[in-house]
Amino acid sequence: MSTCEVAAVKPAEVKLVARDRGGIINPMYDCQPAGAQYAGIGVKDCIPLVHGGQGCTMFVRLLFAQHFKENFDIASTSLHEDSAVFGGVKRIEEGVMVLARRYPNLRVIPIITTCSTEVIGDDIEGTINICNKALKAEFPDRKIHLVPVHTPSFKGSHVTGYAECMKSLVKTIAKGGKPTGKLNVFPGWVNPGDVTELKHYLKEMGVDHHVFMDTEDFDSPMLPNKTIETHGKTTVEDIQASGAAIGSLSLARYESLPATKFLYDEFTVPNHLIDTPYGIANTDAMLRKISEITGKPIPESLVRERGIALDALADLAHMFFANKKVAIYGHPDMVLGLAKFCMEVELEPVLLLIGDDQGSKYKKDPRIEELKQTAHFDMEIIHNADLWELEKRITKGDLKLDLIMGHSKGRYIAIYNDIPMVRVGFPTFDRAGLYRKPTMGYRGAMELAETIANTMFAHMEYTKNKEWILNTW
Amino acid sequence: MPMVLLECDKDIPERRKHIYLKAPNEDSREFLPIANAATIPGTLSERGCAFCGAKLVIGGVLKDTIQMIHGPLGCAYDTWHTKRYPTDNGHFNMKYVWSTDMKESHVVFGGEKRLEQSIHEAFNEMPEIKRMIVYTTCPTALIGDDIKAVVKKVMKERPDVDIFTVECPGFAGVSQSKGHHVLNIGWINEKVETLEKEITSPYTMNFIGDFNIQGDTQLLQTYWDRLGIQVIAHFTGNGTYDDLRCMHQAQLNVVNCARSSGYIANELKKRYGIPRLDIDSWGFNYMAEGIRKICAFFGIEDKGEALIADEYAKWKPKLDWYKERLKGTKMAIWTGGPRLWHWTKSVEDDLGIKVVAMSSKFGHEEDFEKVIARGQEGTYYIDDGNELEFFEIIDRVKPDVIFTGPRVGELVKKLHIPYVNGHAYHNGPYMGFEGFVNLARDTYNAVYNPLAHLAGIDIRNEIPAQLPERIREAA
Ligand code: SF4
Ligand code: SF4
Repeated sequence: MSTCEVAAVKPAEVKLVARDRGGIINPMYDCQPAGAQYAGIGVKDCIPLVHGGQGCTMFVRLLFAQHFKENFDIASTSLHEDSAVFGGVKRIEEGVMVLARRYPNLRVIPIITTCSTEVIGDDIEGTINICNKALKAEFPDRKIHLVPVHTPSFKGSHVTGYAECMKSLVKTIAKGGKPTGKLNVFPGWVNPGDVTELKHYLKEMGVDHHVFMDTEDFDSPMLPNKTIETHGKTTVEDIQASGAAIGSLSLARYESLPATKFLYDEFTVPNHLIDTPYGIANTDAMLRKISEITGKPIPESLVRERGIALDALADLAHMFFANKKVAIYGHPDMVLGLAKFCMEVELEPVLLLIGDDQGSKYKKDPRIEELKQTAHFDMEIIHNADLWELEKRITKGDLKLDLIMGHSKGRYIAIYNDIPMVRVGFPTFDRAGLYRKPTMGYRGAMELAETIANTMFAHMEYTKNKEWILNTW
Repeated sequence: MPMVLLECDKDIPERRKHIYLKAPNEDSREFLPIANAATIPGTLSERGCAFCGAKLVIGGVLKDTIQMIHGPLGCAYDTWHTKRYPTDNGHFNMKYVWSTDMKESHVVFGGEKRLEQSIHEAFNEMPEIKRMIVYTTCPTALIGDDIKAVVKKVMKERPDVDIFTVECPGFAGVSQSKGHHVLNIGWINEKVETLEKEITSPYTMNFIGDFNIQGDTQLLQTYWDRLGIQVIAHFTGNGTYDDLRCMHQAQLNVVNCARSSGYIANELKKRYGIPRLDIDSWGFNYMAEGIRKICAFFGIEDKGEALIADEYAKWKPKLDWYKERLKGTKMAIWTGGPRLWHWTKSVEDDLGIKVVAMSSKFGHEEDFEKVIARGQEGTYYIDDGNELEFFEIIDRVKPDVIFTGPRVGELVKKLHIPYVNGHAYHNGPYMGFEGFVNLARDTYNAVYNPLAHLAGIDIRNEIPAQLPERIREAA
């Protein structure tokens, strides 16, 4: 009989904790109006009008330009002192009329509030009534949808602001009526590359659909005739039809659920919330769900695509990825999805940073419950997090990371602590072309894994750390 | 009729007063564009807010100072990772931003406690940092938080820290410009002459209105070192909080950006009798002229001439190589304000470039006086230009290159016009002699970019007979 003793192994622990400071050092997210603006630019013939100081718009336009290397049209009511004292609704009226007059094709104006105009308490709905009358009088043949979007920045973050504007858009524009037979797909705040990938699956399965928002053209060409096509592709008609769809596929609990819930409550469009399709299993679940809703089978072509992705991942997982410690930060739907993806390829996501002030919502998230059940290593999930939480665990604590996954705002943590970093989420302005690449779906999983591997390989070479392993691979 | 009403502005005819087309033989003072006036809502103006003018442009440059932004997280997030102003201590200023992350309860019950807590936390988390600027934003100004009282309390509890407050919410004034002013005046009122530093040279000056964009300040510093001039304070490129407290010790104030920082120079003159000397740091002629004036003030003309001769020997041939290839190029400048008058004549004299249109976001009428005096006839001078106006102006003047920000740069790319980053530069620094060669090089690389030519080709048509001259040369 062997006397070999195995040391008692402490069971893996998954902790959900909140940032323990009041202030923020290096925010992970922008404020609510920024998210609302992102939803707004996804609509065709739409210019959001942000009711607040000029900075709340100018900086956000710059942020979008940094990420997409494109310009997007967003207007401001240019709030000044007098409005701060006497109210700013006149500036909304003026802004709406100026936009309508100067942009003859304009069909939608989301009117997005900011912290200042919420504090002042401007009556947005009342002003919209006044504007509607004025528009009707001046442009009897045009219909311009004015959409009230309340996004005080002292609540939530750009994630909730995005969700709020999505909801307001369907609430203002969607109609019921004759069933369209189409599927609403609400992917949440994703890149054009993800939208293209999702559309590809729907096409392969023969599913008629609308993606909200269709941001594919955020990656827009330089054309010989110099036309500018940088704008959302989702039309007013698409949004109108969302109320008569066969169902809504909601891919992002925190970004798309308010809109799809509204469509259910108002028009009884069945709402299907699934886990955001990062990684193989989540994508499987999405395709099965689409098949279940539409009755269309999953075609052979997608079985093959899945196989190609698995084939690529299998080359990487247990050889290079296993036991590597990863921190992931960004939008909660993405972070939780990527955590599951990491575990599929044997990476260990030991630290997840999510969230704004919506802590109680996260406690009920079944994905966090699932991580608690399945993680075989210690994991810390910080909500209401800022990027200092990540940095200080590395520089002052004992967190040892092999990889950071997150957006560009955390780049210095990786650079100054010599940790390989893969950019995901929004914004990723310090890497070229990422908006074009999918992260969702089989292809997204494969491309992400390969980027991770190549990033690690480059790091091994620059630091001359076992770079010879790759002499033969 | 030198004021111009563009087609796109027919529904907002008041814009006519903001756009001037310079014609021969007229007294341009009669036709100054209206500037520093409120923007028309919904016009897609390029302007930012006053808070940005204080934090992003001036205060946030300092290399040793916590930037505590009292408000919801957005204003902090937005004024972070949008600038290229390095420092010689590892870019502390670009790596971090601080927000009190104000929530609804603070709107209702006041945010002073939250601010106090956030200040303590910030110093506790980074104990080596002892300086801070606290900014109000739109919501905290509206609810009337007394940030000065909070700061006073904290400074009492923490004798080793020093904190400055800037009360300049985004809605104050009409643009960034207001924020420049508030910070300038606040600083002279509260912080200048609260510290003395060691004087190490018989010649001392402050260098004001240069923010070390891509190392501008550091490049110019090599000149001052060679001339033996001690710079008491850089306002604020690569600068420190404590240096700025010693500004009263300088013998001379040299001002580059008069718009953002002329106020403090005026006050230093009024209160301490320190003369103000305005120079242009972009361009060979201007830089040499500036160095001559500074050296004349200190009576070290010989040193100045030697420096200029050295620099000319080293860089002038390179500049001339670019001039040969750039002359006749049509440039547009759409930036903040002062760079219009800093650049229009220097690119003309040094590089043979013609500036055909200029738009300023936050310049005042005195900026337009300067730029119209220095600029060419047949050129458009625009205050607070908006997107549709840009399209129309481009159509009229057909620029070969546009100096502007990255977002507008992305827009004009679709029109096959290359841009050069007129705020943060492409590959700077752009100040000084070496810097202007960098500007020339970036302009050349933009204008001779083969892609703009390829973009114009429709592959369904016949192959164009011949590449344009510029592209052939570059190939
Ligand atoms: S936090 Fe408020 S003032 Fe600041 S950018 Fe956001 S909406 Fe604007
Ligand atoms: S160069 Fe422009 S942005 Fe910079 S300080 Fe001067 S005015 Fe302001």
